Amino acid sequence: MNKFTAILAAGATAMTLTACHSIESYDNDYYGNFDALWDVMDTHYCFFEEKGVDWNETGQRYRARITPDMDYHEFFNLCAEMLNELHDGHTNLISWFDVSYYRNWWSDYPQNFNWRNIQQYYLDFEYSSGNSMSYKVLADGKAGYVHYASFSSPVSDSFVNEMMLALSDCTGMILDVRDNGGGELTNVERLVSHFITERLEAGYIQHKNGPGHKDFSEPYPFYYDPAQGVRWLKPVIILANRSTFSAANTFVAVMKNLPQVVVVGDVTGGGSGMPFSQELPIGWGVRFSACPLYDANMTLTENGVEPTDGGKLDISPEDEAAGRDTILDFAIEVLLRLDEQMQQNKNRSATELFLEYTVEKE
Amino acid sequence: MNPFHFSMTKIFKTLAACALLAFLPARAQETEVLRPVYAAYTVEAGSAHVAETYLSPLRYSGWDIALGYERMQAMRFNPDKWIMKLAGHLDYAQTKNNPARNATIDNMELRLSWSMMHRFRFSGGWSVYAGSATSARVGMLYAPRNSNNPVAAKAAWTVDAAAMATYNGKIGRIPFCARYDVSMPLTGIFFSPSYGELYYEIYLGNRSGLVRGAWPGNYFRLDNCLSIDLCFGATALKLGYRFDIASSKASGIVTRNIRHMAIAGVSGEWISLSPNRSAQLEKARVISAIY
Repeated sequence: MNKFTAILAAGATAMTLTACHSIESYDNDYYGNFDALWDVMDTHYCFFEEKGVDWNETGQRYRARITPDMDYHEFFNLCAEMLNELHDGHTNLISWFDVSYYRNWWSDYPQNFNWRNIQQYYLDFEYSSGNSMSYKVLADGKAGYVHYASFSSPVSDSFVNEMMLALSDCTGMILDVRDNGGGELTNVERLVSHFITERLEAGYIQHKNGPGHKDFSEPYPFYYDPAQGVRWLKPVIILANRSTFSAANTFVAVMKNLPQVVVVGDVTGGGSGMPFSQELPIGWGVRFSACPLYDANMTLTENGVEPTDGGKLDISPEDEAAGRDTILDFAIEVLLRLDEQMQQNKNRSATELFLEYTVEKE
Repeated sequence: MNPFHFSMTKIFKTLAACALLAFLPARAQETEVLRPVYAAYTVEAGSAHVAETYLSPLRYSGWDIALGYERMQAMRFNPDKWIMKLAGHLDYAQTKNNPARNATIDNMELRLSWSMMHRFRFSGGWSVYAGSATSARVGMLYAPRNSNNPVAAKAAWTVDAAAMATYNGKIGRIPFCARYDVSMPLTGIFFSPSYGELYYEIYLGNRSGLVRGAWPGNYFRLDNCLSIDLCFGATALKLGYRFDIASSKASGIVTRNIRHMAIAGVSGEWISLSPNRSAQLEKARVISAIY
């Protein structure tokens, strides 16, 4: 009996000691943390090919700059600088004293948005709001203006229904997602569902299925279904700028494929890689693009969504100084023109008429 | 009259009478078998050591608490040699001792298993049990600091090897049953997303490849439990120690969970009797699952 028990115990111990799957471990010093950061990005980041970054070379270059006498602020800045070489607004290093951002995706471009000017000179500080949306009827009832500030705020069907009913006499809707930095994709789905009448192929999603830079799953198509409540099928002019990012970028990419939608303003900021989080032994977090999203044409929108042809516009400094919003003015003008043209061409889509209009204007 | 025929008839009648006489005493001596149910309710507390590379490359450790229920009974078809065991555990661990001690991973798990084991009795109060089990486990690990990947869901159904050894003795005048339980999944299925797959993609409908075949090479678990039941009358005080190690790897995602748990609880055996059967209790043969 004792022999049997001993064999059983020895077998269990041997299995226990050998059974665990290995996990890479890192020293909690500068080199260990740097290696952990480099490995996490090397094995999970999804846009090395698109960004044209040689991650091995980048890692060697920055690792050589580590010195034992640097303080942790300097080490943080070194790591942040390395991450910034990816030119990715979804990639951050998060410590207890700072969060790194790559900002050039919007700071190198005109802002093209001044919310104060819109509130003061277009809305007269009188507008309805909720769910991070502000709306009002403009241009003598022809244009319904909606500004959606963040997809982080939940979109409720009941609010959208009421808002659309309030704007229902307008010729079209101006949906302003400038400075909308994104949020939840489920809010994108809910809002888009109020602009479609049948199931819509919204885009494709991929994920890394291994640590290699080219290890990706097959793109998976995803679909949005129409909302049960009010659905807006009149013309929609989406206003975008470089700070239209992440989920807002996806929203513009999906909406742009609808026949009643045109996009004006600037190229959106991109951010089509859904972020993933990991952490380093020092306790810092790292967030990075991990799962690419494509539009319905399998086009990657990481670098932004172009406005509809003829819709590229900036706010001129003079206009801004005078309290005018060049892009919004243009959208109102287009809606007024569309209103006239749609009376004459009942079977033409807003996009067709808009394209004709912009060619004529040029 | 044929004399041969007469004698054969007489012989058959005699044999039949002998058989009847032999049978009747046997019927009178057969006793009813009673199979008491052993039940234990336990609280477990101890430490957990968790690693889940879907959430973090770091190892975490912290405290762990669990509620347990166990039920055993000799089986009807061969109560001397076969027993069944039903066990359930609800476990919660909060781990925060990563190297920087500034983040947490919570681990929740519900485990249910049903096993059937053959009992080998040895002299001196020893018994060894061996058999198989089927287990179901569901749970999740939660890392609040993560953005789009804060949760790693866990689910598995496995067929396990199960074994148990018991020793019944006395400490002074107190009877006790010392026990060692061990189980290990041999095959089954378990849930795992792909290497960098977000649950949002699963929400969108991509459910391919989420169910993986399990074998000890990719889904290892060894649950060891050493316990003693100290019998004080009808109930027993149960004390013990659990060492549970689990390690799985699928699509490059490694999950590891090691638990050291102290166990305390109460246990006992009970028999369900209807009033008209209670009179037979004195004549019945009682076959316990472990005693």
